Amino acid sequence: MSANGGGANGVALVVDDSGVNRMLLSRHLESIGISSREAEDGAAALAALRDGSSDIAVVLLDVMMPGMDGYETLAAIKSDEALRHVPVIMISGVDELDSVARCIELGAADFLPKPFNPVILAARVRASLADKRLHDAEVEHSRRQAALLDTIERQKEELSRFLSPQIAALVSSAEGQQLLAGHRREATAVFCDLRGFTAFSDSAEPEEVLGMLRDYHAMMGALIVEHGGTLEHFAGDGLMVFFNDPVPQPDHVARAVRMAVAMRERFAPLAARWAKLGFELGLGVGIATGYATLGRIGFEGRYDYGMVGAAVIVASRLSSAAEANQILLNPRAHAAVDELVEAEEVGALALKGFARPIPTVNVVGLRSPAPVS
Amino acid sequence: MTNELPLLDDSVLTELRASIGGDEEFVRDLVSTFLAEEPANLQQIVDAAARGDAEAIVRPAHTLKSSSAAIGAARLSAISRQIELAGREGRTDELATLAGQASTTWAATVAALREAGLAG
Repeated sequence: MSANGGGANGVALVVDDSGVNRMLLSRHLESIGISSREAEDGAAALAALRDGSSDIAVVLLDVMMPGMDGYETLAAIKSDEALRHVPVIMISGVDELDSVARCIELGAADFLPKPFNPVILAARVRASLADKRLHDAEVEHSRRQAALLDTIERQKEELSRFLSPQIAALVSSAEGQQLLAGHRREATAVFCDLRGFTAFSDSAEPEEVLGMLRDYHAMMGALIVEHGGTLEHFAGDGLMVFFNDPVPQPDHVARAVRMAVAMRERFAPLAARWAKLGFELGLGVGIATGYATLGRIGFEGRYDYGMVGAAVIVASRLSSAAEANQILLNPRAHAAVDELVEAEEVGALALKGFARPIPTVNVVGLRSPAPVS
Repeated sequence: MTNELPLLDDSVLTELRASIGGDEEFVRDLVSTFLAEEPANLQQIVDAAARGDAEAIVRPAHTLKSSSAAIGAARLSAISRQIELAGREGRTDELATLAGQASTTWAATVAALREAGLAG
């Protein structure tokens, strides 16, 4: 910033075909700390304004000039998106008040009578510069606002890549905080993991293991989203999904079972591919319905949206107990989808941590391939 | 009436000097600019008058009016204003006389500026 204040105030552009007038105006501006540039006609003024490095904050514009006159110049400035906010003060003689009125209608900010009175000049230029600064501050504010919104959108997008879409939406919603705090409701938990995965990951090349997991996760991830499940976590070959929360789903058990059946079907060709290479992989699924607490679980810095309750443990145990291609249901889940599924008795399974054995069925298939909603 | 006005209006020059902190060099620079630029406008006035072109006479008359007023050349400014008005109102027959007066007044103004020590 120079002592003349060029940097802080911005520069004034003096447009007049009279060199005497330009000199006088520049001199008066200089005496109030505003540096100026000069243009002798409208075309030169527009060129100066459109110069990329222009820091012109106010234009003093004569009306009558050879070539492009003040009206045309003013109209060009006001119709240019990048320039229209630069205030224009018309320079005018006392016998030109009609033209001044016309210029103000065209968007001029003010007028400066000739002969120039330095006090009036200073007042009008300062007022226009203040308007310009206010406008610039508003523009900057809107720009920051837009940048902030943009960031939030990007974060939401980024978030939805890591979280299930329901959780990502929940986190950024108004009622989200309340739901995150924890609540109890009936929900269906689904666990699945791969039979033979440990042996596979021991003997296959790491690249093969990662490649296989990528295919598997992509396939499972798509089915989870398709059926409206809330993914709690992926861990190697295991994953846990729950239904009926945070978005209530009256058909949550059916959704869980349809998803599991679809997973089993889609997984078959993948398993066949790996079988050719000598690796036996099979999908085992456990599904359990019951009351549970849902909400934010974890600690500051690393929270998960999770489900806690006996049903979660049962689903996990059932998944471990399932043989390749089995989808095991607890009694409550089975009761809810009795009409929907073809099931076979597996018997009462003694599950770790549960005093009494739990009667379990395996889903053989769906009675009618109901459409996925 | 125009001839009653002073060639150089002392009150304007006094005000001008006051507004620029008595910077005499700046006043001389201003006058140099005036003397360098305005003959072109005067020439355009004379040419337009000779052609009887009322429309073309307005702009140079306007500029000469404004520049001369700024340095206190009151009589030249007044004549220029008359020319501008005559041009605007299409009073073509008056242009030649007025342009002649402008030329005479120009010469007198330059002499007055020299006399005042404002022009070399």
